[in-house]
Amino acid sequence: MMLSHYLAVSGILFTIGLFGVLTRRNIIGILMSIELMLNAANINFAAFNRFLYPGQHLGQVTVIFIITLAAAEVVVGLALVMAIYKNLKTVYVEKYNILKG
Amino acid sequence: MLEYVFILPLLSFAVAGVIFAVGKWLPIKGASAGIAVAAWGFIQAAMLFVKAVRGSIALPYEASIPWFSVGAHQLSLGVYVDGLTLAMLLVVTTVSLLVQIYSTGYMHGDPRFKRYYAYLSIFTGSMLCVTLTSSMLVFFMGWELVGVCSYLLIGFWFEKQSAAYAGKKAFITTKLGDLGFLLGLLTLFYAAGTFEISAIMEKAQNGLIPVALAGLAGILMFLGAAGKSAQFPLFIWLPDAMEGPSPVSALIHAATMVAAGVYMVARLYSVYTLSPIAMDVVAWTGAITAFMAASLALTCFDLKRVLAFSTVSQLGYMMLALGAGGFTAGMFHLTTHAYFKALLFLAAGSVIHAVHTNDMREMGALRHKMPITYVTFLLGTLALCGIPPFAGFFSKDEVLVAALSRSPFLFALGAMAAAMTAFYMARALVMTFHGKPKDAHKHDHAHENPLVMTIPLMFLGIVSVISGWALTRHEIFEHLVNFEGALPFELHHVSHSTVALVSSLVAVFSMVFGLWLYKSRPDIPALLREKFSPIVNMLEKRYWLDAFFLKIVAWADSLSVVLFSVDFNFLDQIAIDGWGWLTIKLGKIQGWIDTYIVDAAVDAFGTITLYSGRAARLAQTGIIQNYLLFVAVAVSIFAAIAFAG
Amino acid sequence: MTEQIIFYMLTAVVLFSALGVVLLPGVMHSALCLGLCLAGVAGLFAALGADFIFAAQILVYVGGIAVLILFVVLLAGTKADLTTRQINDAWLPALLICAAFSWSFDKITRYFSGIIATTAPHPTIRAMAGALLGDYAVPFELVSVVLLASMTGAVLFGRRKAE
Repeated sequence: MMLSHYLAVSGILFTIGLFGVLTRRNIIGILMSIELMLNAANINFAAFNRFLYPGQHLGQVTVIFIITLAAAEVVVGLALVMAIYKNLKTVYVEKYNILKG
Repeated sequence: MLEYVFILPLLSFAVAGVIFAVGKWLPIKGASAGIAVAAWGFIQAAMLFVKAVRGSIALPYEASIPWFSVGAHQLSLGVYVDGLTLAMLLVVTTVSLLVQIYSTGYMHGDPRFKRYYAYLSIFTGSMLCVTLTSSMLVFFMGWELVGVCSYLLIGFWFEKQSAAYAGKKAFITTKLGDLGFLLGLLTLFYAAGTFEISAIMEKAQNGLIPVALAGLAGILMFLGAAGKSAQFPLFIWLPDAMEGPSPVSALIHAATMVAAGVYMVARLYSVYTLSPIAMDVVAWTGAITAFMAASLALTCFDLKRVLAFSTVSQLGYMMLALGAGGFTAGMFHLTTHAYFKALLFLAAGSVIHAVHTNDMREMGALRHKMPITYVTFLLGTLALCGIPPFAGFFSKDEVLVAALSRSPFLFALGAMAAAMTAFYMARALVMTFHGKPKDAHKHDHAHENPLVMTIPLMFLGIVSVISGWALTRHEIFEHLVNFEGALPFELHHVSHSTVALVSSLVAVFSMVFGLWLYKSRPDIPALLREKFSPIVNMLEKRYWLDAFFLKIVAWADSLSVVLFSVDFNFLDQIAIDGWGWLTIKLGKIQGWIDTYIVDAAVDAFGTITLYSGRAARLAQTGIIQNYLLFVAVAVSIFAAIAFAG
Repeated sequence: MTEQIIFYMLTAVVLFSALGVVLLPGVMHSALCLGLCLAGVAGLFAALGADFIFAAQILVYVGGIAVLILFVVLLAGTKADLTTRQINDAWLPALLICAAFSWSFDKITRYFSGIIATTAPHPTIRAMAGALLGDYAVPFELVSVVLLASMTGAVLFGRRKAE
């Protein structure tokens, strides 16, 4: 397999995630789409590491960090979602407009 | 040891702060702290003096740290110690210590006791600054600070109208002289290019300061000294300064602050000796002051004012000595005078504390009631009158020798002043302690004061007896305090023993005459008062000097009335009001421009902002995904730009 | 040959399940698809020879995040969600933007075309451990602080209000 195959997969995955972020009404859906985009980036890192710098591990270490931080992000994000849901009783982002004048 | 001498003034300032802050909780309401510091200063000064006399420390000593620089001029903070400094240091610390001890009795129960001690400490610190500093700038600061302390302490009992007035008078009168001092200091700086005392002395002795400028600076600075040391015609404040507590009079207005002017002239003696005119101004002012003040004391009935005039007169002596070229004589008289005059004031304070009046006509026959006070007062009187072998004899004799070797007229004025001094002191002695009690009630209540007040008296009494003899032995004082530069004039050779004989004869005779007159024939003085009523009147009016200064004030007042009318009628009516009219007209024009052009422009901006804001608000939907869309659009545009090539 | 079959299968799983995440109306289904997708990505990591990341992906994403999201979906949903439209009005501009992004990715992919692996994959766990506890020890510790902070934050947001 070649590097470009992996890059193509990651690009498509990222685009799908972006589409999801822009179009999902459900806040949880948006979070999930963000996870897709992060995974696309992770694939990129791993692929570049594998094909261009096979002797080194910086790409993989970065992936580890991203996974960890993504986990943190999801935890906080979901906690926020729950807090908002408790108050507004909805998961649709266009309803989250109580700051609008 | 000399390295640590700079701590003394700082410590005094610090203890003033301590007394202000926590004096309430210290023993004797903070007085203990002040006394402890003063005692330490006294011990230091005495040790230094003894060492200097033995020659075991190298003088002059100078040390300084840089303070700040203006242009090329580096100003510094530091100490300069030579024999002159040590003599003054000893005087200041001794009197300060004794006065602080004495005050615990004198000021006992005063509601502002704590503040009194804080002021005393500030005063001591400032005076030590003046004494020790190596820079004339710091000297001037200390000089002004002692002036402030003097003001605060004269007006210490400010509930009394006359005390408040006296404080004000002292402050303003000395300030008049200080203006001259400041101008003189700046002239000196212009001439010498530095404020450092040692550098000024060196330049003056090497002839690097022009004689004319040195004379100008000297005379201008002597104005300051005349204010501070109560010389003619600025001595009018000192008699009134007696409104302050007696210990304050002893410390500030007899021993230390009023000697600061003399000290200043001595400190800058190298500059003064450059110009014979400046020297003559100093000498003649001193002689006239000595004579006038002594004559004024003759008719005075207020015990403390007699002493005040006496102080003025003796300060005149010091100036006379300095101006006549008798550097050592002047400083010697300063030293001995500080002790016996402090003694006299403290003894007078003791009397006043006992009988609650300043008026000698209400005293009398107190010698059995207050034996210690009487004896010490007597010792002080003998010292002041110049009766051998008391301290005043030695120093006054030297002053008269200096005066005679310069000019017989100066000597004549000095000798007459000496005669009058002996007379009025005899008069004061008799009126206070001898004769019959004039006010039975006050006499009955009089009593000897507690030991805290009498011990300083006894100590000073002993010093007054022996200091003249002790300091002239082996010429101790002359070796320590002398001037090595050249004088601008030739001195006549005079016989010391003749002068000594003449002066002691004059003193003894006039004192005995005074004693006889007031003791045995008290009717004669009253008769004399009637016979010579114009002269008495003149003396009681103080040569109309007060009136003269009041005239000046009145004249300035009427000048100000004229100036006011010019100001009001001409400047205000025409210039200011015309200007105002013009301004109103211009303002109206400007207002029109403002409303229709400037404001319109501003409003237009506001309107544009409003509508553009409304337009921009359309994009702000409050929906997150719309914003994300914008972000994505922007990123894709950038990506397109990046990858298009 | 086997490698290619595996790659294409994994790619198919990843991409279709990703489309499912984005397009399926039920959030529950989306979440399940997400789990599948993340597992596929883990497979891709394995195919890339990154064994430690493979393990981490399975543990953290599939085992942790996907499950967490499932919980939240179960907690924060209503019956009406099943009948409500899940795609907003901006789908057309989003599509255009996605096209622009795809074009960019196509450019990038073409730029890197023709690069093949020169060495066989080998286990990296030992090397990763050395890197994380050696050169990257400080970031590693900092990440632990971030995790602690996020945990605290989650607890803070999630707790019931003190009455």
